[in-house]
Amino acid sequence: MLEIRDLHATVADKPILKGLNLTVNPGEVHAIMGPNGSGKSTLANVLAGRDNYEITGGDALFEGKSLADMEPEERAQAGLFLAFQYPVEIPGVSNMEFLKAALESVRKAQGKEEWDSVTLLRQARAACKQVDLDAGFLKRGVNEGFSGGEKKRNEIMQMLLMEPKLALLDETDSGLDIDALQTVAKGVNSLRNPERGIVLVTHYQRLLDYIVPDFVHVLSNGQIIKSGGKELALELEQKGYGWLTGEEESA
Amino acid sequence: MSLALELKTQALANARRHGSESEALEALEAASFPERKTERWKYTSLQALADGHLDGITSGEVSQPLPALSEFVVTLTNGELTGSTLPDGVNLHHDAPAVNGLETPFAIYNGAVARPVVLEVAANTRIEQPLHIQIQAASEAPAHCNPRVIVKLNTGAEATVIEHYHAEGQALTNAVTALITADNAQLTHYRLQGEEAGTLHIGTVIVDQQGVSKVDSYQLMTGNRLRRNDVRALVGKSGAELNMKGIFVVRDKSHVDNQMCVEHMVPHCESDQNFKGLAGESGKAVFNGRIHIHPGASGTNAELSNKNLLLNPGAEINTKPELEIYNDDVKCAHGTTVGQLDAGQQFYLQSRGIPAAQAKRMLSLGFVNELLMALPHQQVAEWATPWLEAELTHKQPAGDTAA
Repeated sequence: MLEIRDLHATVADKPILKGLNLTVNPGEVHAIMGPNGSGKSTLANVLAGRDNYEITGGDALFEGKSLADMEPEERAQAGLFLAFQYPVEIPGVSNMEFLKAALESVRKAQGKEEWDSVTLLRQARAACKQVDLDAGFLKRGVNEGFSGGEKKRNEIMQMLLMEPKLALLDETDSGLDIDALQTVAKGVNSLRNPERGIVLVTHYQRLLDYIVPDFVHVLSNGQIIKSGGKELALELEQKGYGWLTGEEESA
Repeated sequence: MSLALELKTQALANARRHGSESEALEALEAASFPERKTERWKYTSLQALADGHLDGITSGEVSQPLPALSEFVVTLTNGELTGSTLPDGVNLHHDAPAVNGLETPFAIYNGAVARPVVLEVAANTRIEQPLHIQIQAASEAPAHCNPRVIVKLNTGAEATVIEHYHAEGQALTNAVTALITADNAQLTHYRLQGEEAGTLHIGTVIVDQQGVSKVDSYQLMTGNRLRRNDVRALVGKSGAELNMKGIFVVRDKSHVDNQMCVEHMVPHCESDQNFKGLAGESGKAVFNGRIHIHPGASGTNAELSNKNLLLNPGAEINTKPELEIYNDDVKCAHGTTVGQLDAGQQFYLQSRGIPAAQAKRMLSLGFVNELLMALPHQQVAEWATPWLEAELTHKQPAGDTAA
């Protein structure tokens, strides 16, 4: 469903991705690991379509269509979801109003049945419960005054409602304590199914204790330099990234 | 002859024809109409008045009256009282007290020619329902009217007034509103704008806190071809409290010039102002927030905030706090900002499938939502929410003014 071929991308004109290849099939969970500055978050943002993140070569195809030709909202409507590393706060726009607008747009684009406000509220409450987020958060401004952990749970709550075809999680584990990490992992695992692809971008192995990946890739200097199964993550945990990148790094 | 002199000559001729009292005529003779270089008018050109706007209205009918927001409604049409339904405890008469603090030549002119409508709330009376004062005007040709409304709350009175404007055609509404409060009075005041974009408005609001009183004012404004709001509060007795909140929106080529002035004349009073502005297309807005703390007004606590959002590069907002403080023992905080929609917030909404234009609208509404949520009367909030959404989507709300 996701096919990335020789992808080159710049951030504010600085080359970050330098020939990245990756294929994600339905049902697969991929983990992308790598040292800081290797281009992990850039990859997630390029795929979601953030401004200033520009594809300069190669291609990223989502279900056969080039993502470069799609606006961020079109990518979401097509079934792509990015759980942000740093979700922004939007005071004045309530979480519920935001979910309503998002789900209306995405469900309509995907030919799914429209949810009336009662159904929406019921579904949203259930999703909140699943990630251990008080339903009171639905009335608050989007991420407004949320703690780091609450923001991450809010991302997963949205993901549960949006039911994406491909979920990208950008360092969702960063800043989470162990309880929150387990809750978040449980939420993600509940979405695992044969039709859905999941890409986890992470610096640390610990998330992969709870969400066991089918494939692990190591990203360094804008390219995937090694791929393997879940055991690769454990090896990285023991040895760090230095033995692969040729640089000193303590992971 | 300069435009200023032309306007003054015509205003004087109108006043003489009207048979104004000699005192009012003298005041008008002494007033100077703004020239291009007059500091207080530097962002508002009066050129729009050059094509006969100081003529009287001869033809024009209000085709889309305002919806009633209360069972108690007072209607002024082209400056004259045309209807009133009032509860016990509110006396409508025309025996107007002198209005303090009027400064602009237009307000002085209004004083010379207007037939004032006075709403007086009896002492120690609480009026539950708001008084909805509909001030409407319609003129086919460029012409003007001079509504003058004075709301007086006697000792211990409590009331809500909704001052609501509507105008059609080429009307200029030259309005004066005075809110006078005695000791222990509590007034909630709304100033709502539902005038068509092609009309003009020059309005003055005087808040005269003669007694230890509390006034909460909510001002929701869109721009028109020319709109000027001079709001002056005289905080005149120790212990008085004034809160003013507002939203102003200018789209397309509309214009709004807000000149706020809070005069702290005595010790130990509080004032708080929170205004938010939005400008899109070639809209132009001005906000001048003056706080004047007089000698001897120690222990004053005055705050002012004006945050603004530019929706695109062609829009313009000029905002300036202006503090004049003759005291050491005061607390005075002010802040004004002009910014643009946050690209990160917009991307976040879009990344969840919300189309760019809708995302912008949600963020713009979100920017002023805090003030919208603060409106204490449900019926006003219900009017204001679609009104603001319509302003942000550029659509006319159902049942309201047509372009």
